Amino acid sequence: MTDIAGYARIVDEAAARATAIPQLTREGDFTLEDAYAIQRASVARRVERGERVVGLKMGFTSRSKAAQMGVFDLIHGRLTDAMVIEDGGIVDLARYVHPRVEPELAVRLARPLKGRVGIAEAWAAVEAVAPALEIIDSRYEAFKFSLVDVVADNSSSSGFVVGAWQTPPADPSNLGIVMTFDGLPVQVGSTAAVLGNPVRALAAAARMLADAGEGLEAGSIVLTGAATPAEALRPGVSVRAEMEALGMVGFTVAPRG
Amino acid sequence: MTSSIDGALVERLAARLRDAEAGRIPCPPIRDEIPPGDVATAYAIQQVNAEHGIRAGRRVVGRKIGLTSRSVQKQLGVDQPDYGVLFADMVVDDGEPIAATRVLQPKAEAEVALVLERDLTVEQPTVVDVIRAVAFALPAIEVVGSRIANWDIRLVDTIADNASSGLIVLGGPPRILDGLDLRLCGMTLECRGEPVSVGAGAACLGSPLVAAAWLARKMVEVGTPLRAGDVVMTGALGPMVPVAPGDVLEARISGLGSVRAVFGREGA
Repeated sequence: MTDIAGYARIVDEAAARATAIPQLTREGDFTLEDAYAIQRASVARRVERGERVVGLKMGFTSRSKAAQMGVFDLIHGRLTDAMVIEDGGIVDLARYVHPRVEPELAVRLARPLKGRVGIAEAWAAVEAVAPALEIIDSRYEAFKFSLVDVVADNSSSSGFVVGAWQTPPADPSNLGIVMTFDGLPVQVGSTAAVLGNPVRALAAAARMLADAGEGLEAGSIVLTGAATPAEALRPGVSVRAEMEALGMVGFTVAPRG
Repeated sequence: MTSSIDGALVERLAARLRDAEAGRIPCPPIRDEIPPGDVATAYAIQQVNAEHGIRAGRRVVGRKIGLTSRSVQKQLGVDQPDYGVLFADMVVDDGEPIAATRVLQPKAEAEVALVLERDLTVEQPTVVDVIRAVAFALPAIEVVGSRIANWDIRLVDTIADNASSGLIVLGGPPRILDGLDLRLCGMTLECRGEPVSVGAGAACLGSPLVAAAWLARKMVEVGTPLRAGDVVMTGALGPMVPVAPGDVLEARISGLGSVRAVFGREGA
């Protein structure tokens, strides 16, 4: 039997204290089902401390990301209100182990999305979209992990910034994105990198939750997945992402104390 | 000019590249015979083969810009783009079958093509002059090729080899620039529905218009300014991908539409 509660405590404390831990699977492999159970239990600990679940993030949605991490399945993690960074805000690196940032399309649901939904149905449930930056931070040493490790670690969720919400465009499948560090482009891409269309990631989110008897609630935020490879954050850097037709989002990393 | 160009050497290396194309057998790099930074000689070789083509009845229809991506520039250790000449026989229509053997060592990339309605003869043309000169933009696939064996190229190799040009496939519909965001436009290139290259306008020197302004200045400098009617292939919006016989590539550029490059099967 996998010690779900024990593993949940390990990943939760590692996240709370921003300290790197060895891979859980070093102690023996466990199933993907167990990994999501660990994730749920660790998020439950956050909720007990007063955090509120506000949505879901999708991971490994792009080929380049899968290649970067050597993992080839879609995964998801939970977003809580404690992970929210204000657009234009300051980020303190002390809160993280080895944070990276990636640009994404964020969507907000007008109504619940549950079960085996298709792309059209998923898109119809979206009330607003925004450019977003996700800060991912694996709690594992050297950002190295197996599929079940990363899922147990809430799929590296750690922070996110969402720009101004706006009316969804007719077709979000190929919106250009430029991510800059201190004004210089570090990544250029398109939402097409997300499964060919980020709405596929949204539909997949509903399906994956349905498999566990859950669903997305009205008002949920879904980060649909990285549109470019991730970049490591460094002290003092000013990060911006600009998305075609949707505008800008950004934050600044506090200089080294 | 501090260095003079060796005319006989230029003729010999130009012939090497022509023979590779005619015989369908890639040749060794030309950098084994000229200094690695000798861009002047490399362009002289390109020019000799362009004039050779014109004498043979080929019609010049425009220019292509190469080395517009930061990663490719880094790979070749250069900090600026290069250019090559486009002939009418290199222009392929949207979806027109392309014989698998037509381009040596083919690779493909999606680009924005700009078509001019005014000459760009003004001294030191700016991006404003370019915008005023553009009639319309088209989505395009450039099928690049290399006469140099195994694409073993450095800067002088690709310049001499007409900027590794092959064919250009032009899609549509034509769009005027008004309201087009060529910097942020998303690009996706799929092979039989499978995404193989993804990017955006900013991958091309920050914007295809910036690349076009660089070319316009360069062409005025060398005394062959861009002219009304010229097609300008502005540079790749994402990584270049290899092409295999039977491949069907489709590029979509947000705001511009789509274009297809259809390759025949071997021997077909």
